[in-house]
Amino acid sequence: MRNSFVRILIIALAIALIGVLSIYSSTYQKEGTLWQDIYKRQILWLAIGLVCFFLISGFNYRKLWDASYFIYGLALFFLFMVFSLGIIRLGAQRWLKLAWFNFQPSEFAKLAVIIFLARYFSRKSESDISLLSGKFGIFRGIALPFVFVAVPMFLVIEQPDLGSGLMLLLAFISLLYLTDVRLKYIVSLLALLLAPLPFLWNFLRPYQKDRLLVFLNPNIDPLGAGYTVIQSRIAIGSGGLLGKGWLSGTQSQLYFLPESHTDFIFATFSEQWGFLGSSLLIFLYYLLIREGFIIAKRTQDSFGKLLAYGISILLALQVFINIAMNMGLAPVVGLPLPLMSYGGSSILATFIALGILVNIDRTRAVF
Amino acid sequence: MDRKKLFIYFLSLMFVVLLIGLLNLNVLQGAKFRRLSKSNCIRLISQSGTRGNILDRNGEIIAGNRISYDVMILPQEPGQLDRAIAAVSRILGIGAGELKSAFKKNFISSSLPTTVANNIEPRKAIILEEYKVEEPSIIIQPKPLRYYPNGPSACHVIGYVNEIDRWRLTKLEDYGYKTKDIVGFGGVEEKYDYYLRQEEGGLSVEVNHRGKFTRVLGFQPPVNGRDVQLTLDLRIQKIAEDALSGRKGTVILMDPQNGEILALANYPDYNPSVFVNKRTALISGLFNNPNSPLINRAIQSSYPPASVFKVVLASAGLELKKINLSTNFVCPGWTMVGARKFSCWDTHGTQDITQAIAHSCDVFFYKTGLLLGGQNIHDYAIKLGLSRPSGFDLPYETSGFIPSPLWRKLNKFQKWYDGDTANLSIGQGDCLTTPLQLTCMMAVFANRGYLPVPYIIKAVGGVDLETKKRRLLPVNFKKGTIEAVREGLREVVSDAKGTGNILSALPVEVAGKTGTAQVSRGLTHAWFVGFFPYDKPKYVICVLLENGGPGHAAGVIAKRVIEGMNSQGII
Repeated sequence: MRNSFVRILIIALAIALIGVLSIYSSTYQKEGTLWQDIYKRQILWLAIGLVCFFLISGFNYRKLWDASYFIYGLALFFLFMVFSLGIIRLGAQRWLKLAWFNFQPSEFAKLAVIIFLARYFSRKSESDISLLSGKFGIFRGIALPFVFVAVPMFLVIEQPDLGSGLMLLLAFISLLYLTDVRLKYIVSLLALLLAPLPFLWNFLRPYQKDRLLVFLNPNIDPLGAGYTVIQSRIAIGSGGLLGKGWLSGTQSQLYFLPESHTDFIFATFSEQWGFLGSSLLIFLYYLLIREGFIIAKRTQDSFGKLLAYGISILLALQVFINIAMNMGLAPVVGLPLPLMSYGGSSILATFIALGILVNIDRTRAVF
Repeated sequence: MDRKKLFIYFLSLMFVVLLIGLLNLNVLQGAKFRRLSKSNCIRLISQSGTRGNILDRNGEIIAGNRISYDVMILPQEPGQLDRAIAAVSRILGIGAGELKSAFKKNFISSSLPTTVANNIEPRKAIILEEYKVEEPSIIIQPKPLRYYPNGPSACHVIGYVNEIDRWRLTKLEDYGYKTKDIVGFGGVEEKYDYYLRQEEGGLSVEVNHRGKFTRVLGFQPPVNGRDVQLTLDLRIQKIAEDALSGRKGTVILMDPQNGEILALANYPDYNPSVFVNKRTALISGLFNNPNSPLINRAIQSSYPPASVFKVVLASAGLELKKINLSTNFVCPGWTMVGARKFSCWDTHGTQDITQAIAHSCDVFFYKTGLLLGGQNIHDYAIKLGLSRPSGFDLPYETSGFIPSPLWRKLNKFQKWYDGDTANLSIGQGDCLTTPLQLTCMMAVFANRGYLPVPYIIKAVGGVDLETKKRRLLPVNFKKGTIEAVREGLREVVSDAKGTGNILSALPVEVAGKTGTAQVSRGLTHAWFVGFFPYDKPKYVICVLLENGGPGHAAGVIAKRVIEGMNSQGII
C-alpha cells in the first residue's frame, strides 16, 4: 500500500531532521570546520539514505530470500576484515576506512543476520506447506541458528562493540520466540546463556566491567566511567518541562556531555526541548515501530512476515536501549539511536531496513 | 498468534518505561538537575569595591583604604602547584606547608585562582609580579583593606571592621549581607555600615567541561561605598587624646550652638587595624582586658553625676520658685535630714545660689532638694536630657538613670524617704548619667536655653546632613534662671575658692562645674563639665576620669585641653 510508504517516509524523515538539528546544536560551537560541518555530512548521508530507501522499496524483497546466504557471507567477510585489520594494527576498531568515509560493518551485519534468520525459519516442509520451524528439534531449532548468529556476534563483540553484539543476541531470541520454535528450547537456550555469565565476566574488558558496575551506581566513579551517565542524566533532567531552547543547552554545547552527537544525542535533544519534545520524539519512534509491526501482522508470506518482525524488533530494541542508556536505565553500551545519531552506516542501514519493510507491504498483494 | 500479541505488549511496555523515566528525570527531579547543570557551567568571579572612607570635618581621613596584595595561585598543569608554592614560599619567607594548607582551605574550583597568602608587603608583591614570567600560575591580586592613618585616634567613634558574626548575619540577611562579609562593629562603621559598605560586583562567566572560560554571561561593576564625614575635628580630637594621656576616662567637646561633637576621646583605646590584620592574640587581648578598651565610655557607660547634678537642682529650685537669688542657707558642714546627719565636704558658712554652685556646697543643695522633693528633681533632670538617650548617632548608647519616688513605688514597692531626696540632690544614690548627657545638659546653659541633640555625622556620600541633624530643643527656662546658673558656673572657675579655680589662669574665660562621684569601690570618679568662652560659648567640654580622684583632677585635664586648643589657635 502506498499509505505505509508515505507514513514511514514522513515519520523517518521527521526524526532524521530532528537528528540533524540536534547534531548541529551539539557541534556548531566546536573548534574546527570539520566539527562545525558535521551536520552537513549528516544531511548528505540522509540524502543517500533516502535514495536507498526509494530504491530498496521498489526492489522485490523476495530476491533477498535467494541472496540471503550471500548477504550473510558478505557481512561475515566485512566483519572478519575489521577483525583481522584490528589484529594487524594491534588495536581495536569498529570500521573500515573506505575512500572517503568510515564504513561500520556491524550496522549492516545486524540486518544481514535478520535476513538470514528470517529465511532460515520460514522454510516450509516439502510435503505439506506448513512451516518447518514448528517441527524443529533442538539442534535445527536452536543450536544451528545460534552458531550462525554466534559467529558474527563474536566478531562484533571482539571489535569491541558490546552493544551491537547484544543486539544480535536479543534479536535472535525475539525471532525464536516469534517463530514456532518450542518454548522449552528457548528457555533452555536462555538458561544456557545466563549460566556462564559469571564466568564470562572475566572475559569482559576492564572498561566494559566499569560500565556495568557504573550502571548499578554511577557515583562509584563520577569523573571516570560514571561521568557520561551523570552528565547525560543532568542534561535530560535540566531540560525540565519545556527545555532550555534550541542552541541553549549548556550540558551538550559546553561539552560536559561526551558523545553528544552520536550515542547521547537523545540527551542533547532532551536538554533543549524538555519533557514535551522528548515525549514527542519517543512517540514518533513508537509510531514508526508500530507501523513495522502492523506491516508484519498483515503480511501473509512467512519470510516477509518474519523479516518485517525482525526489522521492527531491531529498531525497537535499539531505540529502547539507547534512550534507556541515556537516562541511566540501561548500562552504557555503544549503540547509536537509529535515524538520529550521527553516522553514515547507521543511517544507511536504517533506511535500507525501512525500505525493505515498505517493500514487504507493497509486494504483499502479489502473493 | 498469542506469542506475537504478548510480544507487542512487551514492546509497548518498554515505551511506557521510557516515558516514565523521562517524567522522572524531567519533571520530578527537574529542579535538582537544573541546579546541577548550572553549577556545572557557571562560575562567579567577584570584584570588590572599596569601603567608604570616614573623614573628619576638614576632610582628613580617619579610616581610609589602602591597597593590599593577595597572592593567588591558579595551577593549570600537574606539578605547577608545587613549583609555584616553592617560589612563593622562598620569596615571602612563609613555610611551604603553611601555604599548602592555605591553598587547601581556600580552594574552590580549578578554574578560580586560590588565595595562599594575604596582605603581603608591596615590595614582595613587586618581586612576585616579576617572577610571574617564569611561573605564570602566580597571580597578585590587589584588594582594598581598611587603613587607619592616625592609628587608634577616634577609634571608639569609628569602630572597627571584621567578618560578620552570626547575630548580625541573622539580623541583616534580608538586606543582602552574606557570610564572610566584612561589616562594621561599633561606632560609625556599624551604624552607617549600609552607606559605607561597598557593593560587590563581578563577572558571571560560563565555562566548559575543562573549566575553560567560554563567554561572559554578565558583568556588574563593583560600587564603592559612600564616604561618611564626621563633625569631629581631628586636631581637637588629638589634643583631647593627648590631654587624657593614659588616664582611664573620656573627654568630649561639643559645639553648644548645634550639638556637633568636635572631639570624643576615650582611654583605654585600641588600634582598629588589629582587626584588619587578623592579629588573633591582640584581638582576644582586647576582649579579655578588664579595662574594656572597646567600650565607648562617653555613651556606653554611665556614672553618678555627683556635684555636676547640682546644676539641675539650682535650675529646678529657681524655676519652681522654691529658692530665689537672695535665698541663703547656712552651711555648718552638715545638716540633719530626718534622724540622719548628712555632711558637706567642707564648712561653707552662709551661701547664696551663686556661691553654692561655685563652692559646690552640699548643704545648700540638700536643703534645696528637700524643698523641691524627689519627683521635681527627677522631672527637671529629664527636662535637661538626663535618664533618656540623647539621640546620638552612634550605636549602643545607654540612657543612664535618675530615680524618682514614683519609679520606686511602681517598681520596687518601696517608700521614698527624704534621705533619698538628699542623696539625689548631690547626684549620688542610684543616679547615673553618661558623659554625653552631661555635655548636652551643660550646653543648655552655654547656649542659653536649648537642649541640643548631639550628632557626629556631618555628611554621607557628599550629602550634607547638618540641617537634618541640627535639633535644638527649647527647655523653656526663665532667662533669670539660666543667667543665675551661668553666673554660678563662671564663679566655679573665677572665684578664688571655686572648685574649678585651676582653670582661671587660662586666657579664655571658662565656666563649668566639677564633680567628685563616690563609688562603692576604689577612687572617686572625677568630673568637669563646662563651656568656654563664657560670653559666647563655642565649646562645651566634658571630662570624666574613671576612678580619677577628686573633681580637681578632671579640671586639670580640661585645662590641658583648653591650653592645647588655645596654643593651636582653634578657639
